[in-house]
Amino acid sequence: MTVDWKSQIKRLVDRGAEYADVRYYPKQEEDFMFMWNGNFLAFNRSEESGFGVRVLVDGAWGFAASSDMTSPGETFDRAFANAAAAAARIKRPVRLADKEVLSGRFESPCGEDPFEVPLADKVAMLRDIDSFIRQPGVIQRRVKLSTVRKTIEYYDSEGAEIEKHIVDIFPSMQVAAFDDTGMMQSRKYLPPRLAPTRGWETMDLEHWRLQADRIVSEMRQLVEAPKCPEGRMSVILMPDMMYLQVHETIGHALELDRILGYELSFAGGSFVRLNDFGTLRYGSPKLNARADATLINSPGSFGFDDEGVAAQNRMLIDKGILVGAITSRQMVVEANERGGREIFEGSGGACRACAFYRTPIERMTNINIDPGQDGSLEDIIRQTERGVVLSGEKSWSIGSNREQFHFSTDIGWLVEDGERRGIVKDCAYSGMTLDFYRSLTAVGDETTWKVQYVDNCGKGAPGQIMQLGHGVPVCRFDNVKVGE
Amino acid sequence: MASDQIISTLRTLRAYALAQGADIHIEWKAEDSHLVRYANSAVSLNTNERLTILKITAYGDHKCASANLIVGENDLQTMKATIDKAIGMLAFASPLSYQPTIPSIGKTTVFEETYDPEVEFLPNEEIVAFVNEAVEGLETDDILLSGNFSSGVAVNASISTETPEVVFTRKSDIGITLVLASEKRKWEVNAEQFVSHKRDLDARALHDRLAWFVDQYTAKPEGRLPEGPYRVVLGPAATAEYLSFLGRVGYSAGAMKRGFSMFKEDDIGKKVLSDHFTLVEDPSMLATFPSPVDAYGRERGRRAIFDKGVLTGFIWNQQSADEFGGTATGHDVPNLSLVLQGGDADAARIQDFASLPRDGDILYVPYLHYANIVNPTEGLVTGVSRFGALYLKKDGSIMLPYNVRFTERLDKLFGEKLVWLSRELVPYGTSSTYFGRTPYAALVPALACFDGVNVEISNESF
Repeated sequence: MTVDWKSQIKRLVDRGAEYADVRYYPKQEEDFMFMWNGNFLAFNRSEESGFGVRVLVDGAWGFAASSDMTSPGETFDRAFANAAAAAARIKRPVRLADKEVLSGRFESPCGEDPFEVPLADKVAMLRDIDSFIRQPGVIQRRVKLSTVRKTIEYYDSEGAEIEKHIVDIFPSMQVAAFDDTGMMQSRKYLPPRLAPTRGWETMDLEHWRLQADRIVSEMRQLVEAPKCPEGRMSVILMPDMMYLQVHETIGHALELDRILGYELSFAGGSFVRLNDFGTLRYGSPKLNARADATLINSPGSFGFDDEGVAAQNRMLIDKGILVGAITSRQMVVEANERGGREIFEGSGGACRACAFYRTPIERMTNINIDPGQDGSLEDIIRQTERGVVLSGEKSWSIGSNREQFHFSTDIGWLVEDGERRGIVKDCAYSGMTLDFYRSLTAVGDETTWKVQYVDNCGKGAPGQIMQLGHGVPVCRFDNVKVGE
Repeated sequence: MASDQIISTLRTLRAYALAQGADIHIEWKAEDSHLVRYANSAVSLNTNERLTILKITAYGDHKCASANLIVGENDLQTMKATIDKAIGMLAFASPLSYQPTIPSIGKTTVFEETYDPEVEFLPNEEIVAFVNEAVEGLETDDILLSGNFSSGVAVNASISTETPEVVFTRKSDIGITLVLASEKRKWEVNAEQFVSHKRDLDARALHDRLAWFVDQYTAKPEGRLPEGPYRVVLGPAATAEYLSFLGRVGYSAGAMKRGFSMFKEDDIGKKVLSDHFTLVEDPSMLATFPSPVDAYGRERGRRAIFDKGVLTGFIWNQQSADEFGGTATGHDVPNLSLVLQGGDADAARIQDFASLPRDGDILYVPYLHYANIVNPTEGLVTGVSRFGALYLKKDGSIMLPYNVRFTERLDKLFGEKLVWLSRELVPYGTSSTYFGRTPYAALVPALACFDGVNVEISNESF
């Protein structure tokens, strides 16, 4: 069924809407395969189609979505009525920052569309990866593959017309075994982006074989390893742990809707205040963080956000000083008003929804840490007196204002007097966000920089799960509290 | 869509699948959700989502494959195409080490006892008026309202090619979270309510709790607690959160068989938790949004999981039973109906408890934020306090502690550290997850007291 979206938008504007947009998903597909010890616990293909309408009436938002295309006008009217009802209780009318009215098309780079790959080939790929980790000593094997393809049409009352076609792929594998105390020890591999594209061509079987041998070897050593010593010491975070540290304590902390109190009912706020921008020492001078939605091989790149704002690359933390946030059109206007100065210049293009039936909110793009000047991992280890190299996120828990955190990791390697000593298990560390980043004393160079994906970032009410990325180097932090 | 229409649609789809010679299970999930969201003392968002989700699972010889679809509720053609897709996928499915069981539903069951049409059609104006009443007089230029008023209906129905019988449930629910937060000082307190029927809404109860907390947080001194062990009293949200982790790494047979459980098979019949700890799964408790029949048509009854600390057995879903040779226990349902039985303590509300004489200092924690499992086989869980912790001093005074982190083993917490539970039970749950509307509540003691809970990190400000 063909719907004249622009006419529906015009109808709402004619009724008095200040603004309206619609996102129509002709088709969003996901193939999800999950093998556990050789059995497919999930062998699933999902498909969804529908549209979501966002309307601004008298300074208040209304939203409605439906998977039923038979009477789209009803959904548009429902969104309008919701906005009109919301307008009865507002304090500050919503205003949107100006944007360049763009019409365009975005296509994520893809050599081979995973949905054009025969299902048999995908199954064979998973079975091959499973066979690589089916080795002596491995008690639990998990192989996961999610592929996503979606087309989104976007129209708004300001005249934007955008079409996005996004393909992405999220593979991983994990092995586990019991140690002599009966505790499960595991090791996983979530590959960094291995190519400049986001399609099936990134699945290199030989690469998986090598990585499988590595994680199995490390798991075997883990089950024999001593516990990680507790106490204060340096932690050297590998990219497959550093990305989550950045995600939870820079990314979420710098979402402007959280800073302005829009997520207090569930996800939480932020320790950052509006008067911190430009002055707060977030980290040591070695810390440079940015929101870069132009890194095209990462799921945090999408061409245009769900307000029709083009992808951008903006600094968040410059030589340790807080300078930017993850922003949308509404929030930058409100922040500038409430802050009493022009803190932000226009939207950062980071307003996204996970599906047609959710409303766009501030979401991370690719929240990256620039590579530094401290050489390779081995160079950093050589300059470390006492510490532990940590790899593979295992658990994470963060304070509601992102002011503190507790992480545990799959594995650690003790470092003493500049040398890597041996593997330790049950590694965990915790701390206060600002103290932690201010103790950043080494940032690895470009050779250590990897783009890691996140395919399960939760936020919002109703809840949304989003995909994004983090380009991060190896980093060392000193005087960190280590221990479960 | 009425229940008979959905059942009729499912039977049409079943007939289509039979004509293809397929063995399939069809799950129908529909939701009509309405969320009024507050932030900064305004309605920040007012949303409606109407979704119909179909999941088709096709079965073969040691094989299964599934296809999901979000679709228009009358779009039979696309639904049939999804059946074809699942059947087509089966050819590529990798052989399983076990034969998956196809649901065989013996009797059609329609359960709508937790459905209230007044919830389905709750108008915007009533919602705004209710919230206004709940926070009347409590907002200031600095103390701002945030929150969610989520109302709606969730339908779950299923059929298989084995029989023409259907399991159907329709549940309405209202989940309310209201937060009052100081913009300047950054403290935040909350009040919550979870009901299935409009008649059970109680704006006054929300108001009483919020008003009492605002009084405390505007009048009492604040400070940082030294790290170390404390006697802790948890509110229902925090207790329910710990219980949810116990479900994930405690009594789930699948987790146990996969090595992600703190208990082993030979723990059955052993006293592994406190005498005070009796956890039952009781589908007769309507406050838990129960399912009296599971997706396989099994009638469900009350069953103790822990009886005075003794593990009576694990919960087996059908997939785990098939894979590991167990017997399914009737728990293929959207949510369990958990009841943590109350104890002897009379205090039911923190407002009352705080005024009672006490023989030592007590840290009250209403809510755990972003808790997570550090180590599943240890049952080690970490989380941070939120939404109005109080430090109730022995001398009767109250101090406002900054948020603190606990990292505790569940077998210790619900074992030797559990001191008492209040008699009164309250429902604590949620309206939806990231994956859709799934009304759920556990019945938990209003207050639960633990000794020796270690504050591992103590914040330096709100």
